[in-house]
Amino acid sequence: MATNVLICDDSSFARKQMARAIPKEWEVDIHFAGDGVEGVQAIREGKGEVVFLDLTMPNLDGYGVLETIRKEDLPAMVIVVSGDIQPDAQDRVKKLGAMAFIKKPIDAEKAREVLTEYGILTGA
Amino acid sequence: MTVTSTEVSLNEDQRDCYQELTNVAMGQAADRLARLLDVYVVLPIPKVNLIESSDLHMAIQDAETDSAMSAVCQGFIGSGIAGEALLLFNDTSFSDLAALMNYGGELDRYGELELLMDVSSLLIGACIQGIGEQLEIHFNQGHPVVLGQHCKVDDILKSGNHQWTKTLAIEIHYTIEHVNIDCDLLLLFTEDSVGKLNNKINYLLD
Repeated sequence: MATNVLICDDSSFARKQMARAIPKEWEVDIHFAGDGVEGVQAIREGKGEVVFLDLTMPNLDGYGVLETIRKEDLPAMVIVVSGDIQPDAQDRVKKLGAMAFIKKPIDAEKAREVLTEYGILTGA
Repeated sequence: MTVTSTEVSLNEDQRDCYQELTNVAMGQAADRLARLLDVYVVLPIPKVNLIESSDLHMAIQDAETDSAMSAVCQGFIGSGIAGEALLLFNDTSFSDLAALMNYGGELDRYGELELLMDVSSLLIGACIQGIGEQLEIHFNQGHPVVLGQHCKVDDILKSGNHQWTKTLAIEIHYTIEHVNIDCDLLLLFTEDSVGKLNNKINYLLD
């Protein structure tokens, strides 16, 4: 069965870059959200089994999304994809329950590596 | 092949793309500053606009026209694209900056100048190179020039001899968590450069 993947980023350019970086052999349904509020909504609807999450967004930022996921115990594996590469930012998102951190601009090889490392992408 | 208009313009997709490229570049700059000062730099959403040179002051978010500022300007050029980076530093930020940088000397205007040059070369350099890398442009940077110390923002902006009427302006407002440090970084591309930059952007958007 296809995995529901959510790409949550306020930039349409970044969403497109991220969608292109998703391994071709991975069977997925890709959903998009333009800010954290839309993102949380989509996760509640089960569209975000795996979430690629930006941090700097209007309305609700990536930290807020992670807090909501934790508070409501939503089923989502979150990979943060951000330009904020400060050591503190990476620590904070890991503490808030993010599985991994990938720096922007997204690189297809790096995405594959992380997905494989966490067993999300298997035996292709 | 598409014919590109010479008119200076910016559509929504292009604006979004500039914003995202800046987002990545300013993150790299913030990372260097964060590691230097051992702080967390709060990253805003950068603002991208086409503005008239006469409206430059309006591009600066929350420009407190009454507070004293110091400013540095540095030109850059590469692949036929040129512009200048302008760092506006609120003078109230100097004491906290000096403490974070373990600045031992007396914080007179020469001391402030030293701190200003250190921060501006780091932030401007990282931002320009970050944008250049993503567009595959190598930017050469000119010497930084101090536009003024303890001035009003309007006077600083007036002192620049801008040879353009319309420009692409990217504005980044940096603040640092828990301390009183804030500054504005403005990247201004010349009118002639905007068309070439848009071509590069369009290639990424395809």
